[in-house]
Amino acid sequence: MSAKINATLAKIPSVFTGTGLKRDSMVYWAVVAGLALLGGLIGDSYVHHILILVFIWCIVIASWDLILGYAGIFNYAQLVFFTFGAYGSAMLSIYAGLTPLLAIAAAAGIGAVIGLIVAVPSLRLKGEYVALFTFAVHLALPPLIQQGKAIGMGGNTGLLGIPWLNLFGYQVSSIDKLTWYWVALAFGAVCVYLIYFIVLRGRMGLAFIAMRDADTFAQAIGVNEYKYKMLAFVVSAMFTAVAGGLYAHYTSVVTPKVLGTEFFLMAMVMLAIGGMGRFPGAVLGVFIVVIGNELLRSFDDYRLLLLGIAVVLTVIFLPNGVAGLFAKRK
Amino acid sequence: MQILEILISGITQGAVYCVVAVGLSLVYGASRILNFAHGSLYSLGGFLAWYLVVGGPGLPLWLAFLLILPVLALTGVVIERAIIRPLRGSDNWKINTIMVTLGLAFIIENGLQLVFGPGTRTIPPFVEGSLSIGGITITWYKLSIFVISLALVGTLELFLSSTRYGQAVRAVSQDMQGANQVGINVNQVFSTTFALSVVLTGVAGILLAPVFLVSPLGGWAPFLKAFVIVVLGGLGSTKGAFVAAFILAVLEAFVIFYIGPSWAMPAWLLMLIIVLMVRPKGLFGVWEN
Repeated sequence: MSAKINATLAKIPSVFTGTGLKRDSMVYWAVVAGLALLGGLIGDSYVHHILILVFIWCIVIASWDLILGYAGIFNYAQLVFFTFGAYGSAMLSIYAGLTPLLAIAAAAGIGAVIGLIVAVPSLRLKGEYVALFTFAVHLALPPLIQQGKAIGMGGNTGLLGIPWLNLFGYQVSSIDKLTWYWVALAFGAVCVYLIYFIVLRGRMGLAFIAMRDADTFAQAIGVNEYKYKMLAFVVSAMFTAVAGGLYAHYTSVVTPKVLGTEFFLMAMVMLAIGGMGRFPGAVLGVFIVVIGNELLRSFDDYRLLLLGIAVVLTVIFLPNGVAGLFAKRK
Repeated sequence: MQILEILISGITQGAVYCVVAVGLSLVYGASRILNFAHGSLYSLGGFLAWYLVVGGPGLPLWLAFLLILPVLALTGVVIERAIIRPLRGSDNWKINTIMVTLGLAFIIENGLQLVFGPGTRTIPPFVEGSLSIGGITITWYKLSIFVISLALVGTLELFLSSTRYGQAVRAVSQDMQGANQVGINVNQVFSTTFALSVVLTGVAGILLAPVFLVSPLGGWAPFLKAFVIVVLGGLGSTKGAFVAAFILAVLEAFVIFYIGPSWAMPAWLLMLIIVLMVRPKGLFGVWEN
């Protein structure tokens, strides 16, 4: 039996078996350090702003990749987790006076709970039913936020005046783009590292891939499907909520717009263009799409249409995204 | 009396929902594709009719119908050929079809918004007035869309059960490979079911345009409703969808009357969760998952 497992393991690229972790980590942190340096060299605060958004999106898309690309669960409620993180963190810091960093940490907890709540019904379903159920949750949330005006969710106008991040007594205003650049990079780099290098290369990641590629075999060798799928939801939602909290304190405004078509389409295009389940595909996708989206600003009327077309075309002509271009393995 | 009126309103509504649901179920049955653009195609039907009747040349509704039907059918064939068929047999077929149909939904939505603007539209009903019997009033329009919807679903059921072509569709639904081996042109069946499905949802969009309003983003509600109906009825079962549509539409009518219209959508979602938890096979399901 163990010979068989070893034979199976041998076929899996080193990315999933933990070998080469040190080497890959060093490359990863070198790139992050390069980006940190780059931030200091860039003088244009608009470029900083775009890259801050890139780093925040990276957390969301890496988390989505974890559940959709690696665990193979058709979850489309990712922005629901983001919204709960953003609203949770904003409300805790506005109404309870929590310091923003603590509020973001609390948002992670809120995200984990929401992940659990969405997971329980989803785990009884299969395939496209999960997609539909989770997407229905996404569609149902904006009206609920409007009803939530009574408990201080701000209705349609959203929440304004969310406190700025406070780092060791220093207020980081949204105008201070350079500090924000480093903060967002630090958050993004740590979260993405935790997702791809710790969670997905560990036991959990192996279990995810086993369930995705051969669920009967995975169960036969003792992978607890229910437990690991539940964990996929919780971990993914937790990181996404952190991104939501970060976003709320950066823009200092949250409105139900975060659940609108534009954000959802952007997220889909990022994952489609980057390629699912193939690090660093999804992260590259974020860079390509956010920057591309800015370049398309002048075609504002057609932008959403073009994003939709981009989803369809990439899925048909580039089914594994840009990550598929590099990979030799089929 | 009031309860009877709510009941009637639910039943007439249910017939139209049934048309949308049967279209969704037909494609899923034959090709195992959950078409996320089904609701947007519903809006497309409504907008085409609005353009021909109100916004553009001002044609009578029946003529608009005749012009729109082939357009809808062609749209279905093109969607199947151009974006669904290339994916068939690919690695992550299931997730890829979800992605492209969602992408398509956004393309249609934003296309409609670009062409017609973001506002809501309405079409005047083709019959005015109402019928009242024993204190119960029902508009002639609702009555006629009820009859048209029943006729559509009935015709489809007849087509599936007693024509050679319908039997081919059913054969493909039950066993695609087997159907292929006995010489059924599976690709043609996929195209046909897609065309029929788009026609059905588009027609429902036209019929409901005078009752609800048409808007570019307005397709998600009928899509979700159709899905709940299909799940309750059992995937691939026309009879099931028929019964489920009436049960759920009547429930909706009661929720709207007693709790308020803003709770209609949450109520549908709640029903979806309950159905999926209690009876994921549906009432008449023959579904293998």
